[in-house]
Amino acid sequence: MGRPQPPLGVDYAESRLHELRKTRTVMIDGNLTANSETTEGGSSARVFNKGYWGFASTPSMSDESVAKVARKAADNASTMCRFGDQPAIEMPTESHVGEYGFNGRPPLSQKESMELLETLNAHCQKAYPALKSASFMMMEENHEKRLATSFGGEGLSTINRAAFYIIFSAEDKDGRPVELMEAISGRGNLSDLELSLDSLESRMDELNQHLMAKCHAVAARGGEQTVIVAPLLAGMLAHEAMGHPCEADAVLGGAVTAKLVGKPVASELITMVDLAHTYQGKELMVPVYIDDEGTESKDVTMIENGILKSFMTNRESAARLGIAASGSARAYTFNDEPLIRMRNTAILPGTSKVEDMIADVEDGYYLMRTSNGQADSTTEFMFGIDLAYEIKNGKLGNAIKDTTVSGTAINMLKTVDAVSDDMEWECNGYCGKKQPMVVSLGGPALRAQVHLGGE
Amino acid sequence: MMSTTVAELTESTLEKMQNAGFDAAQVSVSVSEQDELSISHNEPSLLRSTEDHAMTLTGIVDQRKATMALTDLSPGTVETGVTELLERARLAPQDEANRVSKNQTGHFEQGPLTADRDLMALKIEELLEFRQSETPKMQIEEGSATHRIVRECLMTSGGSKLSCIVGSYELGVFGSANDGENTSSFNYTGGTANDLAGAHASDLFGIGQMMRDTEHQINTRSIPGNFVGDIILAPTAVDDLLMWLHSQLQDFSLISDSSLYKNRVGTQIASEQLSIRSRFDAPGHAPYTNDAFTADQLTLVDRGKLLCLTPSFYGSLKTGLRHTPVSSGWSIDAGDTEREKMISDISQGAMVNRLSMGSPGPNGDFSGVIKNSFYIEDGESGQALSETMISGNMAGMLNDIVSISVEHMDLGSADFPWIRIAGLNFS
Repeated sequence: MGRPQPPLGVDYAESRLHELRKTRTVMIDGNLTANSETTEGGSSARVFNKGYWGFASTPSMSDESVAKVARKAADNASTMCRFGDQPAIEMPTESHVGEYGFNGRPPLSQKESMELLETLNAHCQKAYPALKSASFMMMEENHEKRLATSFGGEGLSTINRAAFYIIFSAEDKDGRPVELMEAISGRGNLSDLELSLDSLESRMDELNQHLMAKCHAVAARGGEQTVIVAPLLAGMLAHEAMGHPCEADAVLGGAVTAKLVGKPVASELITMVDLAHTYQGKELMVPVYIDDEGTESKDVTMIENGILKSFMTNRESAARLGIAASGSARAYTFNDEPLIRMRNTAILPGTSKVEDMIADVEDGYYLMRTSNGQADSTTEFMFGIDLAYEIKNGKLGNAIKDTTVSGTAINMLKTVDAVSDDMEWECNGYCGKKQPMVVSLGGPALRAQVHLGGE
Repeated sequence: MMSTTVAELTESTLEKMQNAGFDAAQVSVSVSEQDELSISHNEPSLLRSTEDHAMTLTGIVDQRKATMALTDLSPGTVETGVTELLERARLAPQDEANRVSKNQTGHFEQGPLTADRDLMALKIEELLEFRQSETPKMQIEEGSATHRIVRECLMTSGGSKLSCIVGSYELGVFGSANDGENTSSFNYTGGTANDLAGAHASDLFGIGQMMRDTEHQINTRSIPGNFVGDIILAPTAVDDLLMWLHSQLQDFSLISDSSLYKNRVGTQIASEQLSIRSRFDAPGHAPYTNDAFTADQLTLVDRGKLLCLTPSFYGSLKTGLRHTPVSSGWSIDAGDTEREKMISDISQGAMVNRLSMGSPGPNGDFSGVIKNSFYIEDGESGQALSETMISGNMAGMLNDIVSISVEHMDLGSADFPWIRIAGLNFS
């Protein structure tokens, strides 16, 4: 492997060596339908000169390849000058030097993985006779990046993410398929997730109970409703609905947040952050100490006690907005250019107890899990809800059918009247923005008014 | 790396796998290059050139299977990969459905093999000029003109050899429109073609219309109250409906027996107006599958009748269902109703350009927010909508198609018309 060498004689340059290793194993009803390992690696260079960017990559990490892509990136930036002169911008030059590895447990062997899947499958067949199908998916993803920039940034960074998914399906009273998924995720390898029949049995029991309840689900009432949003759903809300509009490239593109700094955008109970690597002294699931532009990664408080405060930036957007670079530039693979990406996004806990929050609701819904979510520049959002229950007179009632919750985050967050004192984190999905990206989400439970899809 | 070298590397790696002890094996090698010229915030910004190598090895030993993908194609790395793959496969459970294709052959070429950077720059200039002169409130957050060339060879120990050299261009725009304090939802469109020279950039893939529509989405209204009405799904939203149908016809749903359509081949599953056909020769694609079968053109749904399921070779052997190889690219037959007539026939509903929703479950129930969409009342298209949700059932929507437009939009991998569907709950 060579060393990253940014080209000289340009306004700014970076050179990166990046290896990504993944494993993916899927078992459907005892059938191993995927059993794969992927390794992709290479070198890239990005150059900023005379107001234009050039990027080049090749799937090799030799010194010769590093030099080749550096020349190519510089040539590409020069080629862009055909579009005419651009006004100069002075990007912040603060840079960080550091190496950040990960020391987790040794990975599960292939034999251990297969035995675990077969044990779980056999258990499900015996313990849950009403199930029509049980599927399991195991995924590991390990990134290692070496970076050097012309501003003096230099570093080694790693992202290690493991995720385990359990998917149960059954039939409702009309013979229609009903499905539910549980995801377990964390930093490191699958061995760091504590996966065994003993540790998973209670979670699978609970998933089965929810599925059976969902087989008798009733339709939600469409329209504005009082809801308790479970912690992981609050994390998704933070990421999708307010996180994306607080990325500086979206702000420069005209997101509604651009003109709201210093103004109330949520209830005073809401503080929302994008944390670089640590929370309350503990390393987070996606720790980023140095970003892919060689900037030290720093926490960003986007909303503090309901007031919009700041945005996540890379060097260029920081210069354009006249604020500090937050170290949020990350690339997914060696052939991707760094973009502004969230790291560990969360709404911070409050002081209420979830049980009390539910007990105070006369007529509403407890939204427990989301299948996915989307939002846009107006902070209008949508989450698919695949597990939720009615709340009647302070108690949980029937499960409801799959539905969607939607609204404008700024309006919805202003209605929050209780925030729980606990917090959960997950990192099982990908954020999509030209490139996929590993991110983590966290939050407490929230009580709010929101639009629910239904009859 | 030239295509002959790709073929030679594929062949020599297959030989290595057989010599290592695999009973059956499949190897694919691809070499690709991409040039991408990007706009950021209404200005030309980046020229990105990437070169990629990929080798995918699938090995079967004693009916046990594993797969490995590499980007480092040096002999030492490949040798180590084959050894590790054998270990991985030996620990997998036995499954008699683990096999490789036999005697599938073909070589496919299409599209431009080299990037015309002048053409790409011209398209970027056309987009920026169009924005400035025709849609100045539109903010192009990201836009790009891309050329990609892929040389690939795919071989199996069963005597299959499939290869392609495919070049293509892509053009796309993403952004929102602003006016003072007000902003629209983001919007986007784009597509793939073998040539971009034949039309102004704004006339390709509905880009100009999307930018005009987005300017009209700055000021929005809510629906007057809950109602049951009709929607017209624009081609950019039709894909959501089709993706759900495809998921029901593929391995996961068929093996886990959760598909609504597993036993419906030959029966009516949709309105007689709906016919869905493959376009596996779409720009940017080659007509063969990842498990090494040539993918002949097919009709998936003919006048509402489901003609086949689409399990992979493995899925077919696992379930006993007929194997139908499918590659990428689909079209829906245009109908006989003018789009304007579709609008004028609706008493209350919406023109839906994008559907933002969760992944509908296997039973098809869904609810989603309609984005970049316009309210229709008394046969007239009105103001853009905000915070409007529709709910229904995907399988039901296929049956509730009222009409299909004469007009259609060719996005490369997809060629879809506008589709009017009745009976959606608006809230």
